[in-house]
Amino acid sequence: MNTLHVGIFNDVLLQAISSLKENKLRTVLSVMGITIGICAVMVVGTVSQGMKKYIYQELETYGLETLWVYRKWKNDNPFRRVRQGSGINNDDLKFMPSCCASVKQVTPVVYHYKNNVPMHSKGNFTNANLEGVGIAYIDINNDKFNLGRNFRQDDIQHRKPVAIIGSKIRETLFGVHTNPIKKVIRWGDIRLTVIGVLEFKDRDILSQLGKADYDVNQRVLIPYTLYQQQLGSKDIHTLQAEAVSVAMTGKALNELTELLKRRHSYRYEYVTESMDVWIATAEDLLRKISFIGLLAALISLLVGGIGIMNIMSTSVVERTREIGIRKALGAYRRDILLQFLLEAAVISVIGGVLGMILGIFAGFGISYLSGYDLGISWSTAILAVLVSIIAGMLSGYYPAYRAASLKPVDALRYE
Amino acid sequence: MACADRYQMIQLHNIHKSYQRGNLSIPVLRNVSVNIKKGEFVAIMGPSGSGKSTLLNILGCLDTADRGSYTLDNKIIQGASEDELAAIRNHWLGFVFQSFNLIPRIDARHNVELPMVYAGVLPTVRQKRALAALKIVGLANRAKHVPAHLSGGQQQRVAIARAIVNDPEIIIADEPTGALDSQASHEIMRLFQQLQASGKTIVMVTHEDEVAAFAQRIIRVRDGEISDNQNENTPT
Repeated sequence: MNTLHVGIFNDVLLQAISSLKENKLRTVLSVMGITIGICAVMVVGTVSQGMKKYIYQELETYGLETLWVYRKWKNDNPFRRVRQGSGINNDDLKFMPSCCASVKQVTPVVYHYKNNVPMHSKGNFTNANLEGVGIAYIDINNDKFNLGRNFRQDDIQHRKPVAIIGSKIRETLFGVHTNPIKKVIRWGDIRLTVIGVLEFKDRDILSQLGKADYDVNQRVLIPYTLYQQQLGSKDIHTLQAEAVSVAMTGKALNELTELLKRRHSYRYEYVTESMDVWIATAEDLLRKISFIGLLAALISLLVGGIGIMNIMSTSVVERTREIGIRKALGAYRRDILLQFLLEAAVISVIGGVLGMILGIFAGFGISYLSGYDLGISWSTAILAVLVSIIAGMLSGYYPAYRAASLKPVDALRYE
Repeated sequence: MACADRYQMIQLHNIHKSYQRGNLSIPVLRNVSVNIKKGEFVAIMGPSGSGKSTLLNILGCLDTADRGSYTLDNKIIQGASEDELAAIRNHWLGFVFQSFNLIPRIDARHNVELPMVYAGVLPTVRQKRALAALKIVGLANRAKHVPAHLSGGQQQRVAIARAIVNDPEIIIADEPTGALDSQASHEIMRLFQQLQASGKTIVMVTHEDEVAAFAQRIIRVRDGEISDNQNENTPT
């Protein structure tokens, strides 16, 4: 007698759809609650995932594993105060990264006036951010080449007057249509041959958050040995490194500073920076967006759920007699329960799918208005429909339970 | 007699039933004992409020007695769970109501299929058996009509098709002709006689003597007790 009711789903689905068709307006109204809720979930998912994608893309323009070490110039201890020297020199480089297990690669960064170094090319003029760097710099900073190539060992060793330029430098000095490779730019007396052009780097969101301190697209990179020669010193102003993983950045920083302190007889203190704090800031921001959004989405889903509970309760009362008939004909409790639960599920699936479609359009709208291509979060879409089914079933359960609990004789007597 | 082994299909013994209204307990059935043999056609009669419908509901396993014993086809009904009662209604009983009680949204065939849905019959088999049942009641050409497009007599015949589709032992009929004109009533009663001839046990509540005349035996209920239980019509 406990055979699985093979045909029941078919029957119940037919029932559900025909009863929903019977009360079109009411169905539409209660479906709308779920639709709005799911739409909200979709929008939140799209925005937070899209934002995450963008923020991480921008964080990647530094390299998530990037870290910086430079001398702390204000040493409070008067006996230890050292006026000269940056606390890092070329000899230190020989021990890196071999002496530091958590460090993948290292580049020196040499600069004097970091900003506003004038550059000329055939009558065109621009201010550049001039940096003397090593080979690893490009890889550490996740820089890519539009044209040309990276420095070679030979360029560094022989202080060759070659330069890699940012995309804005290229535009102002050469224009977008001229190939600047092998062209010459003048930095004071020195004639630098362009060997590479870097891809444009977008730090729009981060600059709004206050991270982007200078324009990366205005860089002119030259071999650090060349810059040191011009400055007449073997000082390295900043050591930039890449840790083996994001988790190891703290350890990598310790290893580097310990090595430097030991090598310089503890005369200097060092300042360290890593992307940790920025990743944390971004994560925190994303969490807040998601939380507020999810809260709003949950509230609208709750409202949708109440709508379903309402329509299902009405439906149970209206169909008391039908429930009586079905029970008289041999329906088990679970058959009646299933019928009304499935009916609630049908409403919520319709609502969920409509909400998903609406959410996708809303996502496009937000992408269009904000100027960020947020894309569609399919995982959120699937989640949203699942959530709508669960919400529908949960809110349909009480009315369904009430229907299933009706005594057949009472239900049949109902007018 | 074709069936020499006619045993007791229904045995009600000392059935008590009362309804609670506030603090008052209103007795509806008092000490009711009824035996009905397999293949009998029994009419239950009595004035309104006499308890005849309650008796029928208990017989039909739609309601349970407070006290007393009920045995149906040698199964003890008293104390069965709600789902067990549902299964018994599904397999042993077929119902015909005064107001037909068809589900208005679905067509005749799907209405007739309902008991088989709950019996777990496969859809293809269901359809075949539903059409066969509709043919028995003479409505094979109305299978796709919804109840609203059928006359009262036709609706009741659909209900009878639904009642017999699971091949139950007993037909429980609650004023089956109460909403029909005399011609339709006669048709329905003739169907009942056919069903009896095919071996079904029929228990019917009615207040029309004309209708009761189709039964073999009339049980009269008055004030919750059986006042008369006689064989008015001898079986043919």
